[in-house]
Amino acid sequence: MSALAEILFGGLFQGSLYAMMAVGLALVWTTIGVFNFSHGVFMMLGAYIAWQLVELGLPAAVAFPVAVVVMAGVGWILQASVVRPLIGRPNIVLVVVITTLAAGSLIENGALTIWGPRSKQIPALIDGNTTIGGVGVSLHQIAIIVITPLILAALWVFLNRTRLGLALRAVAQNEDASHLVGLNVTALYGLAFAIAASLAGLAGIFMGGYRFMSPVMGSDPLLKALIVVVFGGISSISGPIFAAYLIGFFEAACSYYFGLYWTPALLFGVLILTLMVRPEGIFSSRSRGLA
Amino acid sequence: MTDTTSPIAPIRTRAANQAAPGRTPWKVEAVGFVLGFAVLALLPLLFGDTYARHILIMAFIYAIVASNWDLSLGYGGVFNFGHLALFGIGVYAYSLLTKLAGIDPWAGLLASGIIATLAAILVTIPILRLKGIYIILVTFGFAQLVMQVILSQSDITGGTQGIVRIPGLYWFDHNMVRDGKFAYFYIALALLAASTLFLRVFVRSRTGASIVALRDNEEYAISRGVSIVRQRMLTLAASAFFTGIAGAFYAAYQRNASIDVFGMSLATIILSMVLLGGTSTIYGAIIASFVLTIFAEWMADFGAWRPMITAVLIIGVMLAYPSGLAGMIRSVWDAAAGKFKRTA
Repeated sequence: MSALAEILFGGLFQGSLYAMMAVGLALVWTTIGVFNFSHGVFMMLGAYIAWQLVELGLPAAVAFPVAVVVMAGVGWILQASVVRPLIGRPNIVLVVVITTLAAGSLIENGALTIWGPRSKQIPALIDGNTTIGGVGVSLHQIAIIVITPLILAALWVFLNRTRLGLALRAVAQNEDASHLVGLNVTALYGLAFAIAASLAGLAGIFMGGYRFMSPVMGSDPLLKALIVVVFGGISSISGPIFAAYLIGFFEAACSYYFGLYWTPALLFGVLILTLMVRPEGIFSSRSRGLA
Repeated sequence: MTDTTSPIAPIRTRAANQAAPGRTPWKVEAVGFVLGFAVLALLPLLFGDTYARHILIMAFIYAIVASNWDLSLGYGGVFNFGHLALFGIGVYAYSLLTKLAGIDPWAGLLASGIIATLAAILVTIPILRLKGIYIILVTFGFAQLVMQVILSQSDITGGTQGIVRIPGLYWFDHNMVRDGKFAYFYIALALLAASTLFLRVFVRSRTGASIVALRDNEEYAISRGVSIVRQRMLTLAASAFFTGIAGAFYAAYQRNASIDVFGMSLATIILSMVLLGGTSTIYGAIIASFVLTIFAEWMADFGAWRPMITAVLIIGVMLAYPSGLAGMIRSVWDAAAGKFKRTA
């Protein structure tokens, strides 16, 4: 019973963080058609900005939302500086990989210079611990498990029920047609990046209240988010969310039964097998080679 | 576009626009190749001190890795993010073969290249049916898997501790340690020359043209009888051989191996060399490797600011010159070779 509770709880918690990260990646990917390799750095920067604001004396209830808003601005600026000028170039996918990697390295080293290598921690959302099903958990983790689905649901409503959200999806589906009906595609690109960056920043704040922060804290979640996005597909916003929880559970089960050491290898093994067996189920628009 | 009578002509037309294999007459290229490497061979006379030679040796190693990556990434259009794992496999294959199995260093060097090639063939199997970002993920996963295996087999590989006191290369009775890195410089240069020659001959061949054709118009190339399975495997295997040898040489030169070769930071640096140099040129990646390695050394005084300045410069170059450094150089080269080409 306790094993099941531990896996269930660990899966829900990790899945929540992965979902927050992966949704932003998928949003940028579907809207602009590029992969943002500085997404992990967004997570780190959000956590550090929140830490700085708390350090300046702001209460967490003010500092956290402000940090998220600042992150939206950072996302917009990054998009305008290293992604937008490249749009329309034939090798944009590759070039954006390197410009976002470079921008990520810039921000990461900037954070290292400003805040130093020393680990930091930001206040938990709720202090205290409790026991559920024989497993000791912190209230902070429970808060994340509860809040994340609400935020993701809000995002779903935004994308499916509001005019602005529908415009974003329209750009994702057909950019030329969006231009024709008078949508401001450039601004929508910026919006996609801003939403992605603030979600990543929020994930960073969540993580910073649970684990020690460091300037490189975003690289592993970025990798996991990449797996989630590919695993879950990119056609809808719900695909990556389900995949995030699935992978969260898988990881929790693996590290429980096989140890933390083999979990990444097992995860990649399963993923490679999945892609080998069903590549077209995940990536529908590909054309198959006859050979 | 209207020429459908000759089977290879449409592929050539497309290739000429994007990758230009066979655009420069081979005699012109051969002269440039010999001149370029002759200049490099004279460098030790100019730089007497060991440290400058060390920087050049590192630049040569990076140039081999980056230019071979350009074959799969640039020409093949296969986003192989496990390329550095092939380098790492070379490092560990050489270290284990020479230190534990005790085989001859030169044989170990060759064997490392072959092992890396076999590993590349193995990783090609899952990506044969995939495209784009999915290839990035699977190859990335392959790199992680290799790293995990090396970490977990710490009895043999040393795990996170790495391997030290790896046997170096030898050259008859020549003293490799006290010659101011003279011998290692020329071995590295010879490896770079062999690798570059191999890559250029490969991309200028019909096989090279068919690989570019697959990248630019997969359906059309397949309909013309180009096998995607065979060509993709060939591309990755060809890009792996000298990458593995470069890894082996790196291990022999540094005399130690560590898990850091699988890290993101080295992959990022080498990838920026490929893209900064301009893809589908081979020479661009080599030039960018020299520029970036020497630039990084030149900025050593900036300390913590160095990675930030490098990042800003990479972004700047990518925004200003989308085809990289090679694009700038090629326009000059074409202007110079323009007359030559018309008479040939």
